[in-house]
Amino acid sequence: MLTIEHLAKHFPGQIALDDVDLEIAAGQIHALVGQNGSGKSTLIKCLAGYHEPTGDAPATFAPPSGGSAVRFDLAGGAAVDRVGIRFVHQDLALVDGMSAAENLALGSGFTTARMGRIRWSAEVARAEAALSDLGFADFDVRLPVGALTPAQKTAVAIARAVAESDDPAKSNVRLLILDEPTASLPGDDVVRLFTALEQLKARGVAILYVSHHLDEIFRIADVVTVLRDGRRVATKPIAELDHGSLIELMIGREMAAVERPPVSITESSRALVVRGLEGGTVRRLDLDVRAGEIVGVAGITGSGREDVVGLIIGQTPSASGSVSVGGQPVPPYRPRAGIAAGMASLPGDRKRLGIVPLLPVADNITLGNVEGHWRRGRLDRNAELHEAREWVERLSIITAGVLAPIGVLSGGNQQKALFARALRMAPGLLVLDEPTHGIDVGAKADIHELLDHAAADGAAVLVATTDTEELVRLTHRVVVMRGGEAVAELSGADLTVASIEHAQLAPEEAIV
Amino acid sequence: MTELGLSGWAARLRLDKYSAVYLLIAFFIFFGLTEGDTFLTWTSTRLVLTEKAIVGVLALAFLIPLAADTFDLSIGAVMSFSLVIVNSLALNTDIPTGVAAVIAIAACAVVGFVSGFIVVRLGVNSFIATLGMSQVVSGIILAISDNRQITRAIGDTYRDFGRTNVFGLPLYFWYMILLAIVLWYVLEHTPLGRYLFATGGNREAARLSGISTDTLTWASLVVSAVIAGFAGIIWSWKVGTFSNSVGPGFLFPAVAAVFFGASQLRGRANVWGTLLAVYALAFGVKGLQLRFSTNTFWIEPLFEGVTLIIAVAIAARKGIIKVKRRDRTPTDLAIEPDAP
Repeated sequence: MLTIEHLAKHFPGQIALDDVDLEIAAGQIHALVGQNGSGKSTLIKCLAGYHEPTGDAPATFAPPSGGSAVRFDLAGGAAVDRVGIRFVHQDLALVDGMSAAENLALGSGFTTARMGRIRWSAEVARAEAALSDLGFADFDVRLPVGALTPAQKTAVAIARAVAESDDPAKSNVRLLILDEPTASLPGDDVVRLFTALEQLKARGVAILYVSHHLDEIFRIADVVTVLRDGRRVATKPIAELDHGSLIELMIGREMAAVERPPVSITESSRALVVRGLEGGTVRRLDLDVRAGEIVGVAGITGSGREDVVGLIIGQTPSASGSVSVGGQPVPPYRPRAGIAAGMASLPGDRKRLGIVPLLPVADNITLGNVEGHWRRGRLDRNAELHEAREWVERLSIITAGVLAPIGVLSGGNQQKALFARALRMAPGLLVLDEPTHGIDVGAKADIHELLDHAAADGAAVLVATTDTEELVRLTHRVVVMRGGEAVAELSGADLTVASIEHAQLAPEEAIV
Repeated sequence: MTELGLSGWAARLRLDKYSAVYLLIAFFIFFGLTEGDTFLTWTSTRLVLTEKAIVGVLALAFLIPLAADTFDLSIGAVMSFSLVIVNSLALNTDIPTGVAAVIAIAACAVVGFVSGFIVVRLGVNSFIATLGMSQVVSGIILAISDNRQITRAIGDTYRDFGRTNVFGLPLYFWYMILLAIVLWYVLEHTPLGRYLFATGGNREAARLSGISTDTLTWASLVVSAVIAGFAGIIWSWKVGTFSNSVGPGFLFPAVAAVFFGASQLRGRANVWGTLLAVYALAFGVKGLQLRFSTNTFWIEPLFEGVTLIIAVAIAARKGIIKVKRRDRTPTDLAIEPDAP
């Protein structure tokens, strides 16, 4: 249906896309994978007309309904109107304070009566129809979007994207581009999303699906295109690939089989003791982490898992209960007190809670603690930069230099810089929320190794994550949350992807 | 760096970072040629340098909370507050005027403390909180002054503390320079300054990494009120009299200078860029006033307004001020590590 040839995009000093061809067929779910920095985002932005391709990028559009093929140049952002490409970006771009119906109308225009009055009943009916087409008829479209679940929000964004336009100048949607649509979705919601995508596929809409989650790609994609360093490495039917071979294509090397490192807890001192902690969705949580131990917290979204780290590190206030670190009680909502007791943290939302985007990499690494570089009445900037360079080298952070603003780094490298910030405090306890969220396979493996080393050196580590494979790979012991409480603890031979997934679901759901 | 789309020579001159310097040079060349006998004299240079010292001090007051991403729009009113206290204490009591000045600054600190309480404890947006405080303070000023001018209350001995000439310029000009040096040192060379900018860059990230963001924000508002109070003291040395119109009118040029200054030198709000901006604007206005000689009262606001808009537009393009622009940070460009 849509063929693009020789797409290239050069940035000063860098070639982001190098002669990439792409063919997408109608009704096809086409996965686009690659590590961070492989050119996925640039490719999408070229299609969106956000970036101007370098040189000619001839594209051919053959209407699936028959008729003659149209040739045009991708430069000038013509693809969106010509082909009917729609986008759903990772952050969904919804207005939280407006209702689902209003958000839908923002895309397609409001239906108005005389004197420009909006016909609300018509809007509501239209929104309900659009959402039930996607299998989401279960909520009130008049509620503000902010009150919806992540899956419902995603559905609203998709419904808005695929809404048929009355404007004859715009062609109807033929290709939907989804950028990391499941990034904030708990497991069972992903299934609902996939059902919605199957509906669209049946309507003949092609879907370009960008995701880091390889299992999702194996579940839903028909064809996968792999980008590496700005070049297309392969486009293959999904049936011809398995996990290992796909990862190999992405990173260009064979990945060692995931194997748990040997567990040896020599010290029994408890680095973290949590008793009766309540706050957010968490109810009466007791938790212990010993030095040298990596403990995981699992649970679907809404289980309390997402609030555990925030409560412990003092990001959010707790209602009751106690937290003590290295034997010292830590008052709630006081990150500074936790740090003083030897706790370092990596909050979940990197952009909002982690980086200071305009400050250099160096300042971000030393953020919150530069007293160590205070010499003779002033900050010794050279010593600070020297320390930052050491961390950059040690964690192989890819950056144009320690003075580059951290905001221009890829997600994985930002995350590593935040790791440097935590590790330089030589913490007795590391508390992490979704440490590898949204970062690529290579950086993820690096971060796992860092945590292995930190634990081997005697740090206690607590990791909350939705990535079940990560829990199995990384931890000695997993606490599973459900309904705000810790309902199971898995370790040793019981610690498997299946057992975690099973324990996360309520018993009646587990039977199904 | 060709982000601005500047041609080669413009990029080499770093027009983005040193535009105020070039502007200043351009003013001197242009007005030096056209108004040579008036513009290029020590008298007029001295006039501009001393005239704008108050704006310079107020701009520095605005700069401190701004580093922590907090606005203090009450500085104009607070300056007026300190001036009315000095004047009315001098007029109505036997307190030595020097002591009255200290009391005035202490009173300003209290105003800053209240602003801090409103922002930090009550969680009111600083823009609104200080706008409200500004109006509250104006009310108190009217009550104290009974809506009258206070003239001839202040003695010459007291005024000599500030207006005695040293190296051809009054002391208060040098106080401003001294204040700038202190603030520059604190902002650029101490952990405290770093934590302020970290707070301004991402408050929650700063807090989670152990910075006491609430205390810093609160303290920054107290400091800005104290500095604004000092600006009022400078006026009491320089002019002496209190009138209702003094103070609020200085807010805009001070704010304009800080934002213009933020685009200069360091790529973020900074002390020397701010003072550079104050004087680049001042000399521009002076030159234009000399050029058009009569009825030039309209030049100053017009010129300041236009410069602020241009400066912030440039800063926004450069990403100095938090405005999102497309195609600026190609995050997808970053290269991932090679295979270990």
